[in-house]
Amino acid sequence: MNFIDRFMASWRKYRKPGYYEEFDYAWTMTVDLDRCTGCGACVTACQAENNIPIVGEKELGRGREMQWIRIERYWEGEYPNAKLSFIPMLCQQCDAAPCETVCPVSATYHNQDGLNAQIYNRCIGTRSCAVYCPYEVRYFNYYDHHWDAPLEQQLNPDVTVREKGVMEKCTFCVQRIRQAKDHAKDDGRRRVKDGEVQPACVQTCPSEALTFGDRKDANSVVAKKMNDPRAYHVLEETNTLPSVVYLKKVRANAD
Amino acid sequence: MSNVDRRQFLKLVGAGGVGAGAGFMLAESIKHPVEYLIPYPIPPEEFSPGIATWYNSVCGMCPAGCGISVRTREGRAKKIEGNPLHPVNQGRLCALGQAGLQTLYNPDRLTGPMLQSGERGSEEFIQTTWEESLATVAHRLAAARDGGKNIYLLSEGVRGHLAMLLERFMDGLGSEHLMHYDFAHPHALYAANQRLFGEHTLPYYDIRNTRYLLSFGADYLSNWLSPVHHSLGFGHSRQGTDLDRGRFVQIEAKMSLSGAAADEWIPARPGSEGILALGLAHQILAGGAYTGSDFDDWNAALAGYSAESVAERTGVAAKTIVRLASEFMKAEPGLAIGGGAVDNHSNAVDTLVAVNLLNYLVGNIGKPGGIVFNSDPVVGGPANNRQANFIAMQQLAEQARHGAIDVLIVNNTNPVFTLPHASGFREALASIPMIVSLSSFMDETTTMADVVLPSHSYLESWGDDMPQPGLGFPVAAISQPVVSPLYNTRATGDIILDLAGKLGMKDSMPWDSMEACLKDGWRQIYERSSPDASDFDTFWRDVLVSGVWGEDIHRQDTVVVDKSVIDNIDVAEPEFSGDSEQYPFFLHPYMSTAMYDGRGANLPWMQELPDPMTSIVYGSWVEMNPATAQQLGLRDGDLVSISSEYGSLEAPVVIFPAIMPEVIAMPIGQGHSAFGRYARDRGTNPLQILAPLTATTSGSLATHATRVSLAATGRRAAPVQTGGDTRQLGRNIVQFTGDDSSAGGHSANLNSIPIVVKTT
Repeated sequence: MNFIDRFMASWRKYRKPGYYEEFDYAWTMTVDLDRCTGCGACVTACQAENNIPIVGEKELGRGREMQWIRIERYWEGEYPNAKLSFIPMLCQQCDAAPCETVCPVSATYHNQDGLNAQIYNRCIGTRSCAVYCPYEVRYFNYYDHHWDAPLEQQLNPDVTVREKGVMEKCTFCVQRIRQAKDHAKDDGRRRVKDGEVQPACVQTCPSEALTFGDRKDANSVVAKKMNDPRAYHVLEETNTLPSVVYLKKVRANAD
Repeated sequence: MSNVDRRQFLKLVGAGGVGAGAGFMLAESIKHPVEYLIPYPIPPEEFSPGIATWYNSVCGMCPAGCGISVRTREGRAKKIEGNPLHPVNQGRLCALGQAGLQTLYNPDRLTGPMLQSGERGSEEFIQTTWEESLATVAHRLAAARDGGKNIYLLSEGVRGHLAMLLERFMDGLGSEHLMHYDFAHPHALYAANQRLFGEHTLPYYDIRNTRYLLSFGADYLSNWLSPVHHSLGFGHSRQGTDLDRGRFVQIEAKMSLSGAAADEWIPARPGSEGILALGLAHQILAGGAYTGSDFDDWNAALAGYSAESVAERTGVAAKTIVRLASEFMKAEPGLAIGGGAVDNHSNAVDTLVAVNLLNYLVGNIGKPGGIVFNSDPVVGGPANNRQANFIAMQQLAEQARHGAIDVLIVNNTNPVFTLPHASGFREALASIPMIVSLSSFMDETTTMADVVLPSHSYLESWGDDMPQPGLGFPVAAISQPVVSPLYNTRATGDIILDLAGKLGMKDSMPWDSMEACLKDGWRQIYERSSPDASDFDTFWRDVLVSGVWGEDIHRQDTVVVDKSVIDNIDVAEPEFSGDSEQYPFFLHPYMSTAMYDGRGANLPWMQELPDPMTSIVYGSWVEMNPATAQQLGLRDGDLVSISSEYGSLEAPVVIFPAIMPEVIAMPIGQGHSAFGRYARDRGTNPLQILAPLTATTSGSLATHATRVSLAATGRRAAPVQTGGDTRQLGRNIVQFTGDDSSAGGHSANLNSIPIVVKTT
């Protein structure tokens, strides 16, 4: 077997669905676009939970936004038939994540829960992962960020504060997942119950558009939602095998 | 420490310290450079370093009254989430509610009492002590009371025991001038409910169980009345039941967040929404959905609202009117609501009566999926009867100009920012000899104060709340301090009680603290309910733990509409300021979730939350139809001057696909001249150029009744926008399916897409 064959064999293995089947959990988020109102509660909840810095007007003007979950908006049609659709966009926690293969220092990797994790202190800031990410959900710290005192008192002690030169992104609130696992262990349970862990965005969603759980558990809410005929993956053709499942928006047939 | 129970702990937290030396971390860390890693050397029983403690309380960011659970670690508030037990928000919270932490930890909070040392508005203050400032105020109030001079108290809309305290305080001062002022208060809706239903209250709108919602301008998912509760209902109606998917129709001149979520967005000429509603009513009568004994009266009253004539007056096609009416009639049930712009035209009350009429005609009153009336709040009388409309605010200004007001106390409301320049409110304040402001921030109104008594944020205060609008059954919630006060501030209730004590009102207000007042008051609630708790202390602790109390009592109503209502059913053409030649555009100022009435502008999270419709952060803009922009030769980012008869301002153009060509829209909330570093000198405030027109009978400011002209300035000032292209460009990021979801598109067999990796 020559080098190319060996490479392609392992590539195929990696790109194959179910590669992570032996892991304990497969955390999944479903986003019902027919429920989503685009209100932005998830965005602020995420900022509060994950110590996401305020980057300021100037940096935002340079496209250096820092929001692990954002609301994208898409217009169709023209007045008076213009329609606006919202879609919450966050790290899709791909099973075949393009960002993982490109990182020269393996700062981003797949963890035991099927999460696409970022090791901040290994990251050297090449930003290649952000270039490779088809969803554009990786955010780079161009500066050390500052919290005007006493705003820093709000910072969540369960989440690190990232420094300059480091890439960051949605973690599915891994700190909450860890905590839920610890609780399960304390209770003598092997697994986390469905609904026991919710990322900040899912927790706050006022129209209950977001749900979160383990798709390996066939009885979980997310597993059921994945069987909905409306389920789809964004940019499915890129074959990234995302862990975020969207449910199509229903277009009522107005005449 | 094992004998310190939760109740005592809370008391200690509320009191701001746990003994000398073991001072509560937060307060101490501000005052001294010493930093403690763990605030308690000997922590209370339930407190463990590294383990979060949650407190249930009430959100204070808007008047909806959602329940919150605040996560604290080592005595600091870390995260606010919805209280899952609270029936209003059921664990959910909006963006503004999430950002409440930034009012608590805002770097621009007032840290202690102050006296104005320069001219009013100069923001030159000297620090003083509570003893001195309260003595000054009490002395002044006593002199005014004894001298028979007028004392005014202008408060934000407060409810529960704080409202009661303010009542008694003003009674004790012999003053009738207690006014609540909230910019967003739906005066016209109250007036309309009074006229049609005889109820000067807000009913419960059961969006959850409706199958067809006709919203006339109400941005119910973003800021109208109780947005989180409405969002829950919206989600449930859409996809939460096995029934037919709920359909939502939005009628408004500029697409709001709720308009985007709706299945159908219908632009109607500004101010003509009520005419459309009567047109629908006409169709409903014709369709035979109404069988009341006064059918003939209604039929006669609505005879002039045929589909064709309504189409002409509203700009909505006749066949659309017929279709909407037929859909609304057939829905089981349908619900019509009105608010936002509709609440703010000169004919707002007529319009909202017309909208209510639709519910009445299809028999929606008192039914699931319709309108459910609330019983009186658990504490105090009918809520919100103190709300001051624009006329009352103008009278206040008039009185001030005549020197008839000796002392004005302002509690956490900002009329200088939200009232138009034309009201002359700010200038009138100059004639008031003494202005006292209770506020956490140096807002525009507080800059005018002589004495600033800084109040606690809602996360540091005791209080209670009966949500308005209610849920059709009595609900009351306790607001408790979740952290110890950061600064030398005091709770509003405690300030009032202190002043009351100094002014000899101990008889009517015998309490030493707001907490004692609350406990006393909640004894009544304990007695009227038959709780499981064996005694009051147990009940009180249970309420503090759950954060909310409720009763399963529902009103059984039938509404009888009298003949005079039927005879007067009519919607006048809206009035506008400025003639259509000189001022060709209708100005549509709108509120957003993030900024609300301007209170969100000092929160950096809210400044960085992209406006959902335009993705703009930090700043103001003016939205216009692409055709209008083309006609005027304007591009995105061109700075234009917007002028009304009462002033002008500048803002960059944002081309917006879903707005009527003759309407331009501006967000409310920016344009502060004070209010801290994040808000100050950023953007413009469209409210300032509004004409002082009011809605007939409700007397509220007709914020949508101003015509404006546009002129290019030749300069550019593109607002900062996040996000990429606003069109999908074939990427299929948002995908759609038809109403019949079983037939919709490909059933994605997720994660089983064949992988093709070609090797050569």
